[in-house]
Amino acid sequence: MNVLIIEDEKELATEINAFLTRQGFMCDVAFTGREGSEKIFVNEYDFVLLDLGLPDYEGLDLLKEIKEDGKEVSIIILTARSETDDKVKGLDMGADDYLAKPFALAELMARMHAVTRRKHGLKSNTIEVLNFIIDLNKRTVSTGAEEITLTKKEFDLLHYLVLNKNRVLTRTQLTEHIWGDVMEESYDSNYIDVHIKNLRKKMSTHGDIDWIETVRGIGYKAKL
Amino acid sequence: MKIQTKFALYSAASKVLIILAISVTIPSIISTVVYTHIDSRLKARTDRVFKMIERGGIDEITLEQDCSFESYNILKEEFVSIEPLTKIDKGSAGTAKISNDEISIEEEILLHRVISQPFLYDNQLYELRIGEGLGAIEELNHSIRKFTFWITLILILLTIIADIGFTKVLLKPFHKIIDTKLKPAIHPTDYVASIIPTNTDEFALLDNSINGVMQKAKELFIIEKEFIGNVSHELLTPISVLQSRLENMLAENNLPSSANIKLVESQRTLSRLSKVIKALLMISQIENDQFLKKESVAVSELVNEVVSEIEERAAEKKITIENNLKSDFQLTECNRSLLFTMLFNVVSNAAKFSESGQTIVITDDSDEASNYMLTITDKGAGINSEHFERIFDRFKRFDRSSKEGYGLGLPIVKKIAEFHKIKLHLKSEMGQGTAFTFIFPTV
Repeated sequence: MNVLIIEDEKELATEINAFLTRQGFMCDVAFTGREGSEKIFVNEYDFVLLDLGLPDYEGLDLLKEIKEDGKEVSIIILTARSETDDKVKGLDMGADDYLAKPFALAELMARMHAVTRRKHGLKSNTIEVLNFIIDLNKRTVSTGAEEITLTKKEFDLLHYLVLNKNRVLTRTQLTEHIWGDVMEESYDSNYIDVHIKNLRKKMSTHGDIDWIETVRGIGYKAKL
Repeated sequence: MKIQTKFALYSAASKVLIILAISVTIPSIISTVVYTHIDSRLKARTDRVFKMIERGGIDEITLEQDCSFESYNILKEEFVSIEPLTKIDKGSAGTAKISNDEISIEEEILLHRVISQPFLYDNQLYELRIGEGLGAIEELNHSIRKFTFWITLILILLTIIADIGFTKVLLKPFHKIIDTKLKPAIHPTDYVASIIPTNTDEFALLDNSINGVMQKAKELFIIEKEFIGNVSHELLTPISVLQSRLENMLAENNLPSSANIKLVESQRTLSRLSKVIKALLMISQIENDQFLKKESVAVSELVNEVVSEIEERAAEKKITIENNLKSDFQLTECNRSLLFTMLFNVVSNAAKFSESGQTIVITDDSDEASNYMLTITDKGAGINSEHFERIFDRFKRFDRSSKEGYGLGLPIVKKIAEFHKIKLHLKSEMGQGTAFTFIFPTV
């Protein structure tokens, strides 16, 4: 998949680029709005990651241009701007998702997957992991015959690990994903450990769960 | 009380006083004037009579044997009498007495103004009495009194109406200023400066001042909004860079595990920093009125959502959340996600300070003014009442030694509540638990 990163903050663009490239995406970077606008019209992209706070371009104008051109491209807005109505405006104007800075790259990954699934309809709405079937619509996990009852947060954790397979996710990342900003950092972070323990216990009676690995001192990873 | 009403009341009261004063004083003034006239006339007549006596002697006038004389005109409005006095009191000669007397003339009793003047003539003491009937004058007096009463009453009613009309016209620009600029609690950014036409200097000044103040407030608001936007961009962008870089470094797999652990710790620190900044920005944004209030939400539904978010975590600590909401109270013109955060923070706090085996109870009720009330009660550690104010203040922490501070959760709760005009009530006792009540405004 081809991704265009339009981001004037060079260091951030570099990090996103490195991350997505490692995930197997073909990345292109534009540091200005003008450059981004040119690249979009010359090349075909599956994703545009659009920073709204560009120095030479009003991000929302660029979004409008892309939409008016009728390209089949998924747009995710990235912004550090605080204006809350930007989010509403961006989504109204046809952006597929919105990520407020600072965001976790793992979170970006999860959002990109979600957008892709949404665009390609029901077909890819289940993920198969060994003998487990994760149904993203029904938010259930089953072995085909038997359904495993997971709590909301357990499901979110499993899903996040699977989406970011073969990458270690730290407790901080996992906490941020399942709680968002509402949870204060001081809150017991071993909560994630309790969840993983429960998750393993529930799933282990239905199949092999060695792929949910603990990475000592760091966090957890779905090794697939 | 409205200024117009006050003016009307004042004008009516002052005029009632005037009418009272007039109806009390006018008749007595009239009487005084009338009596003065009559009296001077009576005196003049007395003088004339004396002159006649001087010229022609008393016999000229009296004619009769007993030296007494009495004469009326036909209508009995005037009379003159001279009578010899039997009692000889020479001292009393010369002093005239004027009084109102009821005089009976030919079986008719009529009120007269009478001057009686004793005088000496040939060593005989006589009394000269000249009277003037008061009947006609009293009637006149009565008519004048009636007339003045009605005239003043009509005049007063007319002036009251005129006063009210005038103050209404006079105060019209003032009321317009109040109705269009002060009453509706317009947000500075929505304020459109307009000039309300008036030729009253004070009102024009007031209007101008309001325009000026609102303009200034608007500018400050916009400046603050820009400032928040900039701060947010300047602070969050580097955090975002660092966060991504740490993630990438962790993914590289070629670092020694001691370095990885440092990275994990750095990530946690950064996450903390990021959350504090976001929380502070959120508070500023609420203060700066940047959130829309366009949604409508059922409070019970929101509570259900909050409970389902927290339930699981609470269950880990063996804490039960009992949701006993009965009402389907709807809050209109609100911001759903802010309200979610508000309720989440309070329930989350309750869970944080509860101990294993305890129950958090969520109930609802209406107060005397039938405002909807939502109460979240825990049986946890409780909050010292001395700290009630401080836990809502974003920059104050009362127990620095304690690891579990209240953080920014409650200041955010307070801001969101204020933003929605929801009142907060906190009841807590150390060791007994805390009851947190939201009192919602009536729709």
